[in-house]
Amino acid sequence: MAEQTLNIPQLVVFLLVSYFAIRWYLKPSSGDAQPAGGRRAPTVTAAQVDQLAQMFPQFDRRQIAWDLTRNGGNMAATTERVLSGSGLETPPASFTAPPSQSASARPTPTNAPKPSQPDLITRYNLASKLNSTSENSSEAPQKTKTWSQDKNERQAMLQRRREEMILTARRKMEEKQKAKS
Amino acid sequence: MSASKRLFKEYKALCSDPPEGITAGPVSEDDMYLWEALIQGPDGTPFEGGVFPAELKFPRDYPLAPPSMRFLVDVWHPNVYPDGRVCISILHAPGDDPNMYEHASERWSPIQSVEKILISVMSMLAEPNDESPANVDAARMWRERRGEYEKIVRDNVRKSLGLE
Repeated sequence: MAEQTLNIPQLVVFLLVSYFAIRWYLKPSSGDAQPAGGRRAPTVTAAQVDQLAQMFPQFDRRQIAWDLTRNGGNMAATTERVLSGSGLETPPASFTAPPSQSASARPTPTNAPKPSQPDLITRYNLASKLNSTSENSSEAPQKTKTWSQDKNERQAMLQRRREEMILTARRKMEEKQKAKS
Repeated sequence: MSASKRLFKEYKALCSDPPEGITAGPVSEDDMYLWEALIQGPDGTPFEGGVFPAELKFPRDYPLAPPSMRFLVDVWHPNVYPDGRVCISILHAPGDDPNMYEHASERWSPIQSVEKILISVMSMLAEPNDESPANVDAARMWRERRGEYEKIVRDNVRKSLGLE
């Protein structure tokens, strides 16, 4: 019995010692591989920062990268922090965020499907009036009556003002394009 | 004063003394709660030369509650949702402040008017508010790639006038 009770603590000590020995043996190799200063940097990738920056455009990429760096690249933690309203800290001046990938890698979202709207000429049925714009141009500057007691007349005047505004804009743009080419 | 009476008064004022670059009024006087406005793009901005139609929908308790506004052409702008809805503080009632940044004075109150909304939207076109992006992609582009942003705006202006 006495021998046995001695053996168990010995075994425990042996296991502990070998555990630490192995740990000590393995650790330096990984520690050497990373320079001390940049040890935390690799945990934060540009993709992570990009994704969060897209979700929270009100924050600077550096702020996002800084928060990620500090929590070990945990995107959920940063998201939660922003949503809880506590905001993100301003990183120290020496801190640099991983460069954005979006400029080159991601296609611009502008080509994404958007409901295409009809142009103004179509919308207001102005195609037939496009050629008569020269007459309108002389009329446009003078302020005509803009209010009437008659409902229909009022409506017609508003309609005319709308059309004039569009036709004038179109004429000006046409002239500008001609001047350019 | 009932909502439609007040709207009629505003309509009359807007017609008699229209602000520069703005035309607005009910689509039909049979329904004073639906308006259509035309806003000219401010000079010196990529919106210059454009005319932007928008629809304004008034609630029955106007002017206690603000109208909603939606552009009827493509407007690529940080504060305009992709479906055209305009996100600007003057269109938010004092009680609801989704973004927690607006001052009460900028928000809707019965002393505001359609004219003030339209003038605010016009200056919003010139100066986007980066704090409340309704169109995140446009906001990013406006911040990071201004040239590209301006090109899209200009292309949209030409397209909306039926010129390619």
